[in-house]
Amino acid sequence: MTQYIHFRDPHSEEMVRLLETIPKSPGTCFFMDINRSTDIKYQGGLTDWGRKLNNTFNNLLYANHFQHNIVKGIGDEMMLFIPDDTLHGKSSNNSYFALLEDIYASLYLIRHHPDPDLFLNCKVAIHYCTEVYNITFFEGFNDYYGSDIDLTARLMLKSVENRIVMSEKFYIKVKNDLIDMNMPPDSGCVERISDRYIDNFKGVPTSTEFRMLDIN
Amino acid sequence: MELSEQKTPQCTIIGIEGRLDTTNYNILEKKLMELIDARNDRILVECSKMDYVSSSGLRILLMALKKVTLSKGKFVLCGLQENIREIFEISGFTNIFEIYPGREEALKVF
Repeated sequence: MTQYIHFRDPHSEEMVRLLETIPKSPGTCFFMDINRSTDIKYQGGLTDWGRKLNNTFNNLLYANHFQHNIVKGIGDEMMLFIPDDTLHGKSSNNSYFALLEDIYASLYLIRHHPDPDLFLNCKVAIHYCTEVYNITFFEGFNDYYGSDIDLTARLMLKSVENRIVMSEKFYIKVKNDLIDMNMPPDSGCVERISDRYIDNFKGVPTSTEFRMLDIN
Repeated sequence: MELSEQKTPQCTIIGIEGRLDTTNYNILEKKLMELIDARNDRILVECSKMDYVSSSGLRILLMALKKVTLSKGKFVLCGLQENIREIFEISGFTNIFEIYPGREEALKVF
């Protein structure tokens, strides 16, 4: 349950005591962004870009049953977070491998749909978060904060249209799932995942390892 | 998920029973691609007992449709449950697949 943080006194001892008690909420964070979403607003009216945004968001969310995992939308970008206990409590598709497969499939369906006028191509970043807290500073909102959420946003800098960028931490989770499920190590879209890249991101004190999965 | 296969004079009927998801879509993929590669490219997929489909399952159906279209075969679906039809609509599938309420109606188009 989201912990609302709100204290008038900037020096509040009570605030410090509360923050010390808040547990971490490990899980998977996704950022999904719709490409060319600014361009099309200058090229056509609401009936054109509004329709495409509706179709694309629906495809990403409802076909994957992610609609309850939306944390927020920022412009044409969505942040989703699936806590581990939620993921493992699902009756099916309850693994990191399943998450990746379904996101890959969604982007594939959008890219290869025979009618190019229905959907907009997307880019995605995924990270497995351990430094994350289910807190909000705004009354009535659900949100997640922590250095791993910021890192997920940084990974979006490496994503482009029709590409999923995933942190090495998430990739390892996927590979471990395959071992646990006695599946071949290169099952499904995993065989298409790139080798490992390393880069430094603004504000992140250590190098970040990540991989890319292009939707061809 | 369980698959069944039935040959008729008009086409091959593939029945899907249960949940088509990331754990088993490769079984359907293998079956459909084997059929198409062997020029058995007149296929009816009977979905009346399929009660769940994920994006991974939809991807295989789209791949099969494209491949059958290239070989000038026919790929038809029938018997979608209401929850499955909703997913098909959201995915823009209802306008690109030939979908019939039941097997009898579907067999007439082959």
